Amino acid sequence: MGVSAPLLSIAGVIAAVVAIMVDGRRAVAIAAVLLAAGLAPSAATFGGAPGVAVLAGSAVAAVLLAWAGWLGGRILPWLSGLDPMIPAFAPPDRLFGPRSTRAFGAAAAIPVASWVSFNVPVGQVTVSEGLLFPIAYAWVCGVVRLLVARTVEDLAVGVAMIGIATGTAWLLRSGTDSFGGAVLACIVAPLAAFLAGWLNGRSSRRARPRVEAEA
Amino acid sequence: MNPLVIAAGWLVLGLVASAVLRRRTARLVAIVPLVGAGLTFLAARSSTAAVPLGGLSAITGLDRAGQGVLIAAALSMVLVILLQPSIDPALGRSIGVVGAAATVAMSSSNPLVTGLVLSAAVATLVLRWIAQSPGRVTLAAGRVAGAGTAAIVAASPLLPLTGFTTGDRPVVVAALLATGVAALLAVYPLGGWAAGVIRTLRPIEIAPWMILLVPVVLIIAERIPGGVLGTGTPVFEHVLLVVGLGSAVWGGIWAVRGPDTMRYGRVFMADIALCVAAVEGASVSPAITGALVILVTHLTLAPILLRSRGSELVWPRRAAWALLSGVPPSPAFWGRLLLLEALAAGNVGSTIAAVIAIGAIFIAAVLACAPRPRPVRTPAVPERRARPRPVKMPALPERLPNLAAWLLVALGIAIGLAPQSLAGFVFGH
Repeated sequence: MGVSAPLLSIAGVIAAVVAIMVDGRRAVAIAAVLLAAGLAPSAATFGGAPGVAVLAGSAVAAVLLAWAGWLGGRILPWLSGLDPMIPAFAPPDRLFGPRSTRAFGAAAAIPVASWVSFNVPVGQVTVSEGLLFPIAYAWVCGVVRLLVARTVEDLAVGVAMIGIATGTAWLLRSGTDSFGGAVLACIVAPLAAFLAGWLNGRSSRRARPRVEAEA
Repeated sequence: MNPLVIAAGWLVLGLVASAVLRRRTARLVAIVPLVGAGLTFLAARSSTAAVPLGGLSAITGLDRAGQGVLIAAALSMVLVILLQPSIDPALGRSIGVVGAAATVAMSSSNPLVTGLVLSAAVATLVLRWIAQSPGRVTLAAGRVAGAGTAAIVAASPLLPLTGFTTGDRPVVVAALLATGVAALLAVYPLGGWAAGVIRTLRPIEIAPWMILLVPVVLIIAERIPGGVLGTGTPVFEHVLLVVGLGSAVWGGIWAVRGPDTMRYGRVFMADIALCVAAVEGASVSPAITGALVILVTHLTLAPILLRSRGSELVWPRRAAWALLSGVPPSPAFWGRLLLLEALAAGNVGSTIAAVIAIGAIFIAAVLACAPRPRPVRTPAVPERRARPRPVKMPALPERLPNLAAWLLVALGIAIGLAPQSLAGFVFGH
């Protein structure tokens, strides 16, 4: 069965655009799930069922570890610190806020990913097919998210996106070690989700007594 | 001993130290790098150097140079901790993770493993830095250094380049690896984050990056062009030559112009940039020897110069700056001479830029040695004059930092007298 490269690209691009724009306390898990779903067709094409399993496992692990981290952060008492949702700095009010910058970055990533997909061969994938496009696009969007980050949550989302995109690229290599490499790269997303969940849990535990005291 | 066992030792000890130690016993954090150095000393030596350009394979092991740099860095970290006036026990976590990451990175021949462990190290440091001082500069460390490790990770599916030594693929790989190296070594234009962090945080907070991570990344970067990068080799070398020289000049100038508190950080960054430029752009034999001498010098003197600036250790600090100045026979002189010799073999532009950077570093060292102007004496207030001045007798524990600092200065002098022998003793070549 032939592979429709535009269809693969559309799925990956939509997932990457949502992942670069998503905000909130569950942003890492949402980004990981959507990106894994968007890149799953590419993974299925070159990695078969094991390839899809790697991405699905990464997405499920991200959701579970984000929840476990949040729970652990609320229960375990011995640490305090950082709220991942509070911006580390407050820039002056501007016409274009952080989401506008991300949207501009997502638009600028299209020609970059396009050039990569048509000029850089990975493993057995020939450059004429352009099948690397969704993966390269997701990776560039991850880097953009990292570079324009204002919060620790932004950094975690960027790291998760880069991990899943790199893992899918390893599946495209189609060598003897492609599966191991994909697993190793995709582990990053659940770890980032756990870290963000942990920090969220700690900060929510700290905020609650304050609200009760004020009441 | 397997490098993974050594890394596990670093990690477990670091996590335990940060959880168990309290403020009174915080100095025991020094046990983490001390045990790390001991475990690394016991490691089985690999005959081949690990170059992260291969496929996914087992951790190959530590070669002689890798073992030497890890032991020297760990011992330097021990002395940095012991010479600090105060320590936060939670620092043990950063030291443990960064030490483990440095050990795995030094022994891995796979760019994915190298990139991931360096990402873990950067993430740990950045989270601590942001928690210490939330702001634009500490977040920039996460953005830029994180993007650097992401670039190394992104290069991994494209490696090895067997059968693809021409065309765009080697060039893309070289550009990604050069970006990663420049970001992690804080070479301009990707080095602003380090300058900001040096300005914002206490020196001990930056020490794990300067002492444990930078030497390892420098050694790895030196090995990369020796692997098969094909047509990407000139891209990797020339990019790092240009940005390294520019960064060295910029760092040297700002070491002269900037505040006292940032001077050592700026000089360190300028020296590392000079090393990167020389070992990548002029990969002839004096370059790597010079870079190793510079590394040994900084690892020896950093414990003194990373101590928070105060009234103590004034003379050891001046002596350390004199050893960093580049005046013969200081160790920095021999290191920079070898780097200059290697760069001079390339082209005259590199030589001129290197001379400017070395000159600026010399002026910065002289400024740091110079006594600070004393405040103008005003007539004493009668009550104040009447109050008897307390006689302060230095207790033995207060003399120990002085003794350790002077021993380090003596070691620095010894390195200056036999630079190549001592660099060979540490790194094996």
